[in-house]
Amino acid sequence: MYTTQLLDVVTTAGVLYIVAVGLLVVYGVLKIINLAHGAFLAMGAYAGVLTTWAGWNPWTALLLAAVMGVAVAALVEWRVLRALYARPLDTILATWGLNIIVVQILTLYFGREIHFAESAIAQPISVAGVTYSQYRLVLLLIAVALGVLVWLVMQRTQIGIVTQAVIMNEELAQALGINTRLVRFVTFCLGAGLASLAGALLTPLVSVHPNLGVPWLINAFMLVLVAGVSLGNLALAALVLGGAQVLVSSYGNPVLGSLTIVILAVIILRFRTITI
Amino acid sequence: MRKSWRTLVALELVLGLAMLSGGAAPSAEAQAQPIVIAVPVGLSGVNSVVAPAVVQSAELAVEELNAKGGIMGRPVKLMPLDDESGPAGAVKAFNTAIRQHKADAIITMETSAARNAGAPIADRAKTLFIYTSFYEGRACGKYLYVNAWVPEQIVAPLVKFMTDEKKVKKWFVLGSDYAFGRGLIEPAKKAIAGLGGTILGEEYQPLQQSDWTAIISKIRAANPDGIMYATSGGGPNIDFMKQFKAAGLKMPVGSLSIDELTAEQGGNAAEGVYYTGDYFTGIDNAENKTFLEAMKKKFGANLKTPNSLSEPQYDGIHAYAMAVEKAKSTDADKVAAVLPTIVFKGPRGAVQMNKQHHAPLPVYLAQVQADGKTKIIKSFGLVDPGSQCPNLK
Repeated sequence: MYTTQLLDVVTTAGVLYIVAVGLLVVYGVLKIINLAHGAFLAMGAYAGVLTTWAGWNPWTALLLAAVMGVAVAALVEWRVLRALYARPLDTILATWGLNIIVVQILTLYFGREIHFAESAIAQPISVAGVTYSQYRLVLLLIAVALGVLVWLVMQRTQIGIVTQAVIMNEELAQALGINTRLVRFVTFCLGAGLASLAGALLTPLVSVHPNLGVPWLINAFMLVLVAGVSLGNLALAALVLGGAQVLVSSYGNPVLGSLTIVILAVIILRFRTITI
Repeated sequence: MRKSWRTLVALELVLGLAMLSGGAAPSAEAQAQPIVIAVPVGLSGVNSVVAPAVVQSAELAVEELNAKGGIMGRPVKLMPLDDESGPAGAVKAFNTAIRQHKADAIITMETSAARNAGAPIADRAKTLFIYTSFYEGRACGKYLYVNAWVPEQIVAPLVKFMTDEKKVKKWFVLGSDYAFGRGLIEPAKKAIAGLGGTILGEEYQPLQQSDWTAIISKIRAANPDGIMYATSGGGPNIDFMKQFKAAGLKMPVGSLSIDELTAEQGGNAAEGVYYTGDYFTGIDNAENKTFLEAMKKKFGANLKTPNSLSEPQYDGIHAYAMAVEKAKSTDADKVAAVLPTIVFKGPRGAVQMNKQHHAPLPVYLAQVQADGKTKIIKSFGLVDPGSQCPNLK
């Protein structure tokens, strides 16, 4: 029983981390909440449907999803968002509009009904005496790998260092000759690519339909609000909030459980000193 | 301020006159005036997945009626309207149908919320309303008839089958946390208790939540002989089954919320799930074969697979036509008086709305196969809806 609950907690945290990391990256650098995050999740999930139709290996969906996410994000950043950075409130409108447009295009092409995407792993596995979903464990590993990868990019690469400078003080960075426009462009593409990748990773857990991103967007939003701009904080928030949700659902019921993330987020925000 | 008020009055006057003159238009050919059947259905909103199939069923029925000369020699006109899957839209749609289009009858499948909002409007206007969607039961009205299933008809047979044939004594029941989910789990619990089964756990998941992890772990800990679930329609069935299987759970599963189309779109996710219903495309009778062929011929590549939410629409329109022929009138009181005596033999079998405005229905047991297709494995014969509206005959 305890083993199962431990696994539930860590894998739920893993899923939440995967879903939220793209949103955090965009928020950290661009200081905007990408309300199209849910649409990018859905787009990634449909990449799984496309590879299933084509009969390709299910893992190729991840690559296709990331490419689709980056491509759409590049176009949108270039033609729309770039002009709006001086007006942060308008970016909320713009990304929400983008969300509606992407979801409607998906609906027009695929219809409102659910679609099937082949799962790479559907079998359970035995861990420490309990049978558990192998895919959830794989997701946990992917979450850790993604976390390490994004951290390495931020700490060890030129673009990462430059990005950190932009996060800390954009005007100063600009004065030092850093091309902040490029940093913003790359970050938005990266965030959207991560969101689409997360969508493709979700398909073995949930059915694919145009609005599948909505419930995930809300949880990701809460996590990012709590975590601020730190990847470490995000992992911690996913573990605490996701863990609380699982435990309340297990010992109480899932209705209370789903409230837990929201209530905890509000409490944490109330007492935390916000440092961005 | 005053000026705009005057403009408003003027506008009202003009509009009022226009409406008066429209209403007073002479109708020389009263005999050839079409009989209008309104179909307020969720073309947008949550029902928009199934609504096109409902409209197609209605279109075929109306085409068949008009091909043999209409009803009492009058052509039949179909009027699909969007009820936006909810009460506000239903109020608009029902008022439009009755006041603007002078609908003779409203025959439709909609959400319970939309039906609850629309039915009183039809009742006040004395317009016959045949509701063709399965629902949680106990909706009653002088002009309201229902030709689809209520929980009594599909829940008890499924529980009995799983108890007798799958030897399920200890159950775990779960559902989505809303009226339909709880409304179906309640009779399931009664049926289980009635057969001497025990319930090890009962859980409800919020509608927005698609991660079933906590409930699945509870099922694993309780280790029941079998599961009975009722999520909301469509996707959540597949979400739950995918996660249930990936977790390595293998007990038999009965579903009160899956349908043929969802099972098929879910690929192999729902393989093995048992469910009951009154209509499946695989029903082996001449009427169903003719119906499916006619649908294919009429709609070709655009055909939305007929299902248990759309097929009763076809039956409903034909039953109404027969009732009008028999009553020799479209007057709602006269039609309502003969409707319970009408037997329409359609794709589901012979359906007669003679039990307190509800219908005993043929119920089948089906199982989802490895390719997502549904296979009928047993027929329970005609199952009675029980006492739905004791105050009506």
